[in-house]
Amino acid sequence: MMLVNEVIIPLSTAILITAFYVQGQAFISSMIRGQAFQSVLLAIISLIMGYLTGSYDYLALAVLIILMRAFLVTYLLERKMGEEKSQVQESRVNVAYLFLLSLIFIVISVFIVYSISFSHIGLRTIEAGPDVLVFPITLFFQGLFLIGSRRNTFAQIIGYVEEENAIVLLAVFLIPIPFLVEASAFLDVLALVVISSLVVEVKQDHTRIEELRG
Amino acid sequence: MNLSEIMVIVLIVLPSSSFVFLRRGMATASAVIASVEVGVASWIYFFPPPVGIFYVTPLTWIFILMVSSVYLLATIYSIRYMEGLKVWISPSHYYLMLNLFTSAMLFSLVINDYGLMWVGIESTTVLSALLIVLEKNENTLEATWRYIILVSAGVAFAFISIILIYYTTGSLSVSVDTGAGATGRYVSLAVGIALLGFGTKVGVFPVHTWLPDAHSEAPPAVSAMFSGVLLPVALYVLYRIYEIQPMPYLYGSVAVLSIVFSAIFLGNQKRYKRMFAYSTMENMNLALLGFAIHTDISIAGAILLLLAHSYGKAGAFFSSGSILKHTGSHKIGRVNGVFRDLPMTGTSLLLSSLAVTGAPPSGVFFAEILIFMALVTRGYYIFFVITIISVFLSFVSINYNVGRMLFSDSSGIRERRSPLTYISLISSIMPSLVGILFLVGYYAMF
Repeated sequence: MMLVNEVIIPLSTAILITAFYVQGQAFISSMIRGQAFQSVLLAIISLIMGYLTGSYDYLALAVLIILMRAFLVTYLLERKMGEEKSQVQESRVNVAYLFLLSLIFIVISVFIVYSISFSHIGLRTIEAGPDVLVFPITLFFQGLFLIGSRRNTFAQIIGYVEEENAIVLLAVFLIPIPFLVEASAFLDVLALVVISSLVVEVKQDHTRIEELRG
Repeated sequence: MNLSEIMVIVLIVLPSSSFVFLRRGMATASAVIASVEVGVASWIYFFPPPVGIFYVTPLTWIFILMVSSVYLLATIYSIRYMEGLKVWISPSHYYLMLNLFTSAMLFSLVINDYGLMWVGIESTTVLSALLIVLEKNENTLEATWRYIILVSAGVAFAFISIILIYYTTGSLSVSVDTGAGATGRYVSLAVGIALLGFGTKVGVFPVHTWLPDAHSEAPPAVSAMFSGVLLPVALYVLYRIYEIQPMPYLYGSVAVLSIVFSAIFLGNQKRYKRMFAYSTMENMNLALLGFAIHTDISIAGAILLLLAHSYGKAGAFFSSGSILKHTGSHKIGRVNGVFRDLPMTGTSLLLSSLAVTGAPPSGVFFAEILIFMALVTRGYYIFFVITIISVFLSFVSINYNVGRMLFSDSSGIRERRSPLTYISLISSIMPSLVGILFLVGYYAMF
């Protein structure tokens, strides 16, 4: 219980801070690095869970997260940005306004979802109350908000990776992890990065198109 | 492992094995493989595998039949359609992706594990994304991106449902969980979340927004696969989760709302492929309504609807592809005199349009009657009234637009008869055959 309070909860808080940091950035390279750091923190939580439960599955999950999200996603996205990567930013975006909007959206949605659905659920992996589920739920909505609020392909990919991180965090807290979670996490991020890197190559901004209306 | 299980593995692996023809003869190999798939699917009907790794019920088999036969039609159609077409990925890679996409759908249908079903559905997104962007331009790229990001986000949400199923039942086995009679708050939550998650791929309002974009911009064969089988496969997975704990009012309300909105969207369509995409949304939600009511009659209606619709909508998209090849326009207002200029394409467009909107003797017509009967007998009068009005409005919208394209003045184009038109015609006739077979079977039973 002490380890949960002193390590897992602060790490989960740090994950949320990285999510809000990403939301508040206009420069894409800062967003990518924020996502990489968030994934490393998630991998550390998985390692600690492995230590607590004695399961090697968590170790495998941590290795996959580091390889796929912290390194591969970061590498592929930065490579697609080209030489001037420190200068790449999303045009026509009011970061401060979106940040404020994100906070309002998340507070309301997390309050509703948590209080209705998860406030009485018992965790199967760690000795903690259901309160820790606030972290993955918040991260999930933050990822969704990032996808919805930005028009840039890079930003939307990062939002999606955040969403995936949230699901892994939820699964890690809630159930004794089957291999499936690792396989799914691996498949998901790999697929998105491979496909999206092809799209990124030719289309980086997404605006309304007359032919796709209605 | 017995022979039946081996045949199911063959069914899944055979399309993927086409990669050995990547350098040469990919198109022909794909068509041969697709034909063999129909044969393997027929074999599985007579010798289904025992419940274990796979879970193949008569319901599953109908979906397998749909996937394998629409895959065959789409492959043959693609061979001629691709001729002379400027494409972004090579034709060999196009067929490879189409084959892998089919394997992923078949895997999702037969596997006896909710988690792996989810993996299969997620794989279909990845494998089909590049098929949309075949004719690379700004529209196809945007449609592809919307498809990837919206469906991936939605299906990722569905993974929460899978986590909750495992949390509550301690198992991900479809055969175990559907018969376990699990109840409680978190089972309801899992089934509810699945509606929003997998519903993204099924075309449930308001998470349907990728559907018209992807269907309108993809090549006709891919649109036919999406509309005819991909969405039904996602609906099958959703139904398998629904079976754990049926929630008829939640699922029924969402289905009815989606039918209403598809009717509204259909009233304002200016592009014919987009119009057929919204028609798919309407039909999928009618089938969802049939599954949601969860009586023998309504489930039979839903299955009959999906089967007839798969061929009818393939016919509609194949006809649309031929019209697009001849006229070069996506707009309803710019396509004139199809019946005079392109008589065979016009006939297939008319037949398929009538079939998917529920005109007799199409299977969709009898399916709608079954679903409406179930709604009335179970006392869902409000659902019944709203649905029947919406279905009528959709019928009028689609057939009015198709009528404008078919029976207006000639634009002087001459039809180049090719296998494309014959495949369109065969696909358009199939829903009526399904309907007649249903009638014959019905009278034979009683």
